[in-house]
Amino acid sequence: MRALTLHLKLLIAILVVLGISVTAYQIFVLGIPVTEDATDDLWNIDAKVEFVASAKDPVKIQMFVPPLSRDFVSLNESFISNNYGVAVNRVDGNRKVTWSARRAKGNQTLYYRLVLTKRYSGEKPKIKGATFRDSMPIEGPEKVAAEALLAPIRQHSADVETFIGEAIKRVNNVNDDNVKLLLAGDPTTAHKAKIVELLLSIAHVPVEKVHTIRLVADQPQVPELWLRSFNGTDWLYFNPETGEQGLPTDRLLWWSGDENLITVDGGKKATVTFSLNNSEMNAIRLAKLTDENTDAKFLEYSLYGLPLQTQQTFMIMVMIPIGVLVILILRNLIGIQTLGTFTPVLIALAFRETQLGFGIVLFTVITALGLSLRSYLEHLKLQMLPRLSVVLTFVVVLIAAISLFSHKLGLERGLSVALFPMVILTMTIERLSITWEERGASHAMKVAIGTLFAASLAHLIMTVPELVYFVFTFPAILLILVGFMLAMGRYRGYRLTELVRFKAFLKKADA
Amino acid sequence: MFGFWKTWKALEARGIMGINRRNADYVLKYNKRSLYPIVDDKIITKERAIAAGIHVPELYGVISTEKEIDKLGEIIGGRNDFVIKPAQGAGGDGIIVVADRFEGRYRTVSGKIIAHEELEHHISSILTGLYSLGGHRDRALIEYRVTPDQIFKSISYEGVPDIRIIVLMGYPVMAMLRLPTRQSSGKANLHQGAIGVGVDLATGLTLRGTWLNNIITKHPDTTNAVDGVQLPYWDGFMKLAAGCYELCGLGYIGVDMVLDQDKGPLILELNARPGLNIQIANDCGLTLRCHAVEARLEELKARGVSETVEERVAFVQEMFGHIPAVEG
Repeated sequence: MRALTLHLKLLIAILVVLGISVTAYQIFVLGIPVTEDATDDLWNIDAKVEFVASAKDPVKIQMFVPPLSRDFVSLNESFISNNYGVAVNRVDGNRKVTWSARRAKGNQTLYYRLVLTKRYSGEKPKIKGATFRDSMPIEGPEKVAAEALLAPIRQHSADVETFIGEAIKRVNNVNDDNVKLLLAGDPTTAHKAKIVELLLSIAHVPVEKVHTIRLVADQPQVPELWLRSFNGTDWLYFNPETGEQGLPTDRLLWWSGDENLITVDGGKKATVTFSLNNSEMNAIRLAKLTDENTDAKFLEYSLYGLPLQTQQTFMIMVMIPIGVLVILILRNLIGIQTLGTFTPVLIALAFRETQLGFGIVLFTVITALGLSLRSYLEHLKLQMLPRLSVVLTFVVVLIAAISLFSHKLGLERGLSVALFPMVILTMTIERLSITWEERGASHAMKVAIGTLFAASLAHLIMTVPELVYFVFTFPAILLILVGFMLAMGRYRGYRLTELVRFKAFLKKADA
Repeated sequence: MFGFWKTWKALEARGIMGINRRNADYVLKYNKRSLYPIVDDKIITKERAIAAGIHVPELYGVISTEKEIDKLGEIIGGRNDFVIKPAQGAGGDGIIVVADRFEGRYRTVSGKIIAHEELEHHISSILTGLYSLGGHRDRALIEYRVTPDQIFKSISYEGVPDIRIIVLMGYPVMAMLRLPTRQSSGKANLHQGAIGVGVDLATGLTLRGTWLNNIITKHPDTTNAVDGVQLPYWDGFMKLAAGCYELCGLGYIGVDMVLDQDKGPLILELNARPGLNIQIANDCGLTLRCHAVEARLEELKARGVSETVEERVAFVQEMFGHIPAVEG
């Protein structure tokens, strides 16, 4: 017995831990929203390309577009351009779109539109980068200045990370004579980045320029320059102005390298303006959309992977254990008597079709009429199967009659009756009449009311939309339920109704 | 909420057993499912009892097919009174008690006159499963009619009073006398309105009673006091009940017995899920008594011995008996 208890406890612990960890994994790692109402940001980025085409030459415009390999996933991408051919190709981790036209004239406008959102997948794509580079050629006073700068940097750094940070800080100290010499009167961020790259190249540390767009709505944007270096496992990002490490989460990597954002052949005065806006979208729908657009199929093995129709069935099915749990609590903890164990759950399912109030009325009317028929049949001394068949047929006729009447009276509700499960009603009538005979009318009444109450409660709980969503999205919750049910299997305490039933003991104790 | 908690603690302190505890700790633990048919089918119970030498109402015959119904007259023979029962009936349904013959017909205890053909039709209904739960095919048995001992005349209304003893692993732990009332229409089931009266295990003296979950001291129909009545052959009842463990192998049962005025204590039927109202009738919880018996079993097991029926009865009478009469 004791070993069995331990076994049971272990089983419950395993189930509960498994249920909680799977759910926690879904919520915290996969980032599946906890409620259906949760929304996520959806970014809409427009890059507007304007230029003046020269009349004679064919036009070829090349522009970088985001490679989308990091934390973002594209939901929709479009290239809006009349009369231009469009080609997209990948070069060294960058993506480049090429618009081309044989003939174009005057002001030209092209659009690139990207709709993206944060990636839900925890998996990061494999990345690789260089960890060594050759020194850039440098001579004369610049060489001396660079070496003079490098010496304290070496002193103040412990590894590649701090080395880069320190280098950036030194280069940004424009009062330093060495820095002044190297900058040669051009203190733009781009030039500073170049100097940093030069310094680091002497130390054989590779850095790369990356150009990012900040995800802020309704503000004019220009690509922001960052530096990054590969430390063997991951990219380290540095702000070239401050030396701060780490790319903020709202930065979208647009392209990397030294090239310009756009190159135009056969045109001039090319400008690119970015405009961003964001909208919110139902998170789970977004998740589904994301899923379709990536390889990371995180919903693949969830119930959302099923065809829509099957999904709807499952939305009902996953709630059945919840209904059963309600009955379990009502029966074993509260002590309400119901007809059979699962009849109330079946009735609760039937209430889906009819709505609660109407369902209760219908159930009562049909059961009452069915019971009177059953008591009449009792006199005829029929065997069980023929008797049940008669009751079932009677129930069908009754339901047909109710449907007809309510239709004639213009009550739409009556028609939903047709789907009210007849077999459930028949079995209810049969069992109720057996209870009636064995244990008397008052007991039968008590049981019938208990059943109806349990069914109503189960129905109400089974149709809470938030709960349906939660259980459907995180089915591992059912494991926790099983754990609770197992524990209930060994519950020895009193039922609430027993406290009333055994009151006689206490009255005497007080006297 | 607080009131409920107080009630809970008070009941727990008195060792009152709830349904959940009964099911988890006793019914599920001691009663093997495969042995249920022995108690569910009255014919099997009876055969087992006879084989074990335990007294039961004499079985006149069993009818299990339509063809055998023809033998009804042969089974009845020259007897004037007998009982027809479904073997797997529940709640006393489908039982006909014939008290006498009248002009070639039969008269039931309630005075109804029925013809032989009607009896045959009734048996046919039993066979088709009209009275068995779930409508299984059933068998009919014809047996001796119990005449309740005169001792019960003053404290019962119609019907046959019976004695229910809860037996845990062969140790009787609590006893109750069940008296039919007008409300229970002659049936001895407590939930149908019969009275339960606690019985002292050692002496066989009745204690106070329970009726519809209340404590009472008088029979509602006869207004005679139900307490302080000495039940005859009490040790006989105790031994009979204790022996039922060996008979059926179920560890936690309710044994229903009657006192026939000619044949003494007889076993009527066994119940694998005995009700809990016996606690109210005895004004005492089952849990503590069951724990005492379980402790005794542990101790005996450690010593590697087992007790005989007489030793077990002596043990429980010593342990749980001699309850001082309560005034008021």
